[in-house]
Amino acid sequence: MKKRFIAALAASMLTLSALAGCAGGTETASDSDYEYIKNNGKMVIGITEYQPMNYYDENGTLTGFDTEFAQAVCEKLGIQAEFQIIDWDTKETELKSSNIDCIWNGLTVTEERRGNMDFTTPYLANKQCVVINSADADKYTDIASLSSALMSAESGSAGETAIQSATELASVSYTASASQADALLALNAGNYDAIVIDYTMAKASCGQGDYSNLMIVENIPMASELYAIGFRTGSDMTGHVNEVIKEMVADGSLKAIADKYELTELYEEALNQ
Amino acid sequence: METFIKVTLQLAGGFGTTLALFFLTLLFAIPLALLFAVFAGSSIKPLKYLMRAFIYIIRGTPLLLQLMIVVYLPGIAFNAPLTKWQIFGGNVATSYFCGALFAFVVNYACYFAEIFRGGIENIPKGQYEACAVLGMTRSQTFFRVILLQVIRNILAPMSNEVVTLVKDTALARTVSVVEIFFAASELLRVQFIIWPLFYTGVFYLGFSALVTLLFNMAEKKLSKYWK
Repeated sequence: MKKRFIAALAASMLTLSALAGCAGGTETASDSDYEYIKNNGKMVIGITEYQPMNYYDENGTLTGFDTEFAQAVCEKLGIQAEFQIIDWDTKETELKSSNIDCIWNGLTVTEERRGNMDFTTPYLANKQCVVINSADADKYTDIASLSSALMSAESGSAGETAIQSATELASVSYTASASQADALLALNAGNYDAIVIDYTMAKASCGQGDYSNLMIVENIPMASELYAIGFRTGSDMTGHVNEVIKEMVADGSLKAIADKYELTELYEEALNQ
Repeated sequence: METFIKVTLQLAGGFGTTLALFFLTLLFAIPLALLFAVFAGSSIKPLKYLMRAFIYIIRGTPLLLQLMIVVYLPGIAFNAPLTKWQIFGGNVATSYFCGALFAFVVNYACYFAEIFRGGIENIPKGQYEACAVLGMTRSQTFFRVILLQVIRNILAPMSNEVVTLVKDTALARTVSVVEIFFAASELLRVQFIIWPLFYTGVFYLGFSALVTLLFNMAEKKLSKYWK
């Protein structure tokens, strides 16, 4: 009986490690991702709820810069845009498993990510900024004043890189948060003195609701990155979408959406890079 | 192969935190639960009802919510952020770990307390009467006659809870405790390797197997004295 139990245990462990092994293998995109999505008649877009990119307005309709942008692109391609809320931690898995066709949700272009997805032309600048409690406004005025602060950013985010690469911040006590939203919540609770998050998110949240006591420290420059749409590696959708983006930049329709969400500055910064 | 070893080591580091959370929770929750069980079965009415109300609240709300209350509420409601408590020396990782540990201990103590209470109440009245006839004191009765039978009675439900605790530790990642799941999702976020997420299952399975084996052994040992 005991032997059988151990054998069963060993077998289940083996199966599990085999499964884990499979998941590690690289997948190749089907012949034409464009044809595949066209045949489906819809593109499944992976998002997280995040102002001002994709969020529900007071009527419960999904809106935001990325939402309107994606709808406009899909309309030009003659397909439906279907938004699917995903867990940001597992976005690569969602994309590889074809549960979604792209990630379009303020996705920062990084060299490491290039191994797992293809990026379109960047359409917005992703500026990082420092957020603090307004009560500390006199205490934290520039980057040097933060040198002994308790700081946080989302684990693996551009904000984390910004903190770790700033020489002035070499001696801060840094702790990673599970998400930008968690970092904001913990900052509001006073668990941190300052956090580094995306400028878009900081602008949308500081001064709103229960975050009325949070503020952006404007004169601390942080490394800037770019937002783009992520498709499966080798997907021909990237080219098709790039064409549409080019058109929308030329006819000013993309700028109009940026204006609507007060992102003009970040849009122009992306164009200039 | 090189990545496999590197990932395994990184996950093992996270699993160390998982195990620390697991063992410390058991260490503190079991004595606390005994106290809770005594209070909940107490003949002092206010104490009994207060204890039962507390157990009801803890068992009736998700552990996830309790974790958030411990970690965020001190700062939001009382202007005393957990990370700035003197006892933690301003160390964020330590404060989060201790906060999470506190939530786990209280939560599990409530579940254990109900198991203990059930175990004690299941002992037939005749046993106490027999002890009284033999002239044993109350503490002699409890420690020499009742306790071992209680332990045997609660072993199966306890093993259930303890195995659940192994897996519940994963919740600590929501409050920035870098246990094995956080370590795996960090690998995913920073290095974009997906399989460690699934690989964590091997660690949990291995450890649950160990816990189950230990409980089976204990059960066998104790059953020798009966039947």
